[in-house]
Amino acid sequence: MPQATELLDLAFTVNGEPVQLAVSPFSSLLDVLRENLELTGAKRGCGEGECGACSVLLNGKVVNSCLVLAAECAGADVLTIEGLTRAERLHPLQEAFVQHGAVQCGYCTPGMVMAAYGLLLENPSPSEAEVCRALEGNLCRCTGYRKIIDAVLAATNGGPPHD
Amino acid sequence: MLKTVPKTYQSPRTVEEAVQAVSQTGAAILAGGTDLMPRWSRNLSPRPAALVDLKRIEQLRGVKLVDGVVRIGACTLMSELEADPLIRAAAPILAQAASRVACPQIRNRATLGGNLCNASPAADTAVPLLILDATLEVASPRSDGVAMREIPVAEFFHGPGRTALQPGEVLTSIRFNPLASGTFSAWDKFGTRPAMEIAVVSVGVVLALARGEVTQARVAYGSVAPVPLRGRKAETVLLGQPMRGEIIDRCVAAARDEISPISDVRASQDYRREIVAVMLRRMLENAASH
Repeated sequence: MPQATELLDLAFTVNGEPVQLAVSPFSSLLDVLRENLELTGAKRGCGEGECGACSVLLNGKVVNSCLVLAAECAGADVLTIEGLTRAERLHPLQEAFVQHGAVQCGYCTPGMVMAAYGLLLENPSPSEAEVCRALEGNLCRCTGYRKIIDAVLAATNGGPPHD
Repeated sequence: MLKTVPKTYQSPRTVEEAVQAVSQTGAAILAGGTDLMPRWSRNLSPRPAALVDLKRIEQLRGVKLVDGVVRIGACTLMSELEADPLIRAAAPILAQAASRVACPQIRNRATLGGNLCNASPAADTAVPLLILDATLEVASPRSDGVAMREIPVAEFFHGPGRTALQPGEVLTSIRFNPLASGTFSAWDKFGTRPAMEIAVVSVGVVLALARGEVTQARVAYGSVAPVPLRGRKAETVLLGQPMRGEIIDRCVAAARDEISPISDVRASQDYRREIVAVMLRRMLENAASH
């Protein structure tokens, strides 16, 4: 099979910082975040859009970064879990995860937080059912859903979750 | 080969550019990528020599009502469809099906056109579009540019992963007439969990009743045949008849008869037949008590 060898110039914004780099046409956004930009918060779980561990926001919408080609992100605005923390201070949503013990092994946590963050951007005071629906694409294999849902609901009760 | 394919990743801005790019040797269309990318990572499909990304073509995005007809750009997202006020009013079954595709992350990427062109027998949006009698608008390459042609959705699916599209063609939009107000419509899919589920089966119904008799009947099924299937026999049973127990029994029997499900890892053939019968019966009883 013909395999592409050329590199594409890609300019986009990651966590508010402009980024410019050369990427292979078939590199996923997840690959570029983790390997090129050393942002290892987004995790590779299944690599095919089933688990949500690689969730990031692309132009304000939650997506699986393993299913997005980096090449498609020209001009886009990407937010990863690293971008939620300001001056070493956790985002209130992250704080709620800590306070509610909504973290066990931690592998799913960045994806859970980003999916919840995506929900709160569109719906600042979701019902429990809406929280569950927003997290339906994020798997936790430590069976920690109850605490995760509590954490997201707590973050909404504490007022607007954004800076 | 790479000589005739100047760039591996291309993002045309117009349908004409897209058709030209897709007509290149070894080119493949990229829409949402939610079906393509897993196939590459599992090595089920080779990576194409050129990838033509349709998402930056403005004309292929969004929902419009033109002269009373609903027209949806092929690259409109599932998340856009589920929230769109026009779709929710004119075709609630399509909004509902879009809202049940996978999960938010997928719905923010997956497109209506991609769901159709991937041609899975389980495609969630195929059953609503079959019962809406949708027409697909396709741009075809011509020596002097591009010509448009139309394909009724019932003729679009040729088998798992196979469609009526010819090489170089691009699905541009999907159009249908809004359901008349007062029309009964229902769609549902069955699986072991509500989210992230490939339908074990799906069923959709559109019915119009006047003076107790069925004046319009459309039925369709997913995951029960090599292609999403219109239920012509079930429809024939209903047309012109009163919606009562005996007719419903005959309609459900016709449905069992006209589907040809397979047994696979998700369900057996018998189980699929049984679930279709149960789902269709519930929908018809609902319509009768409407």
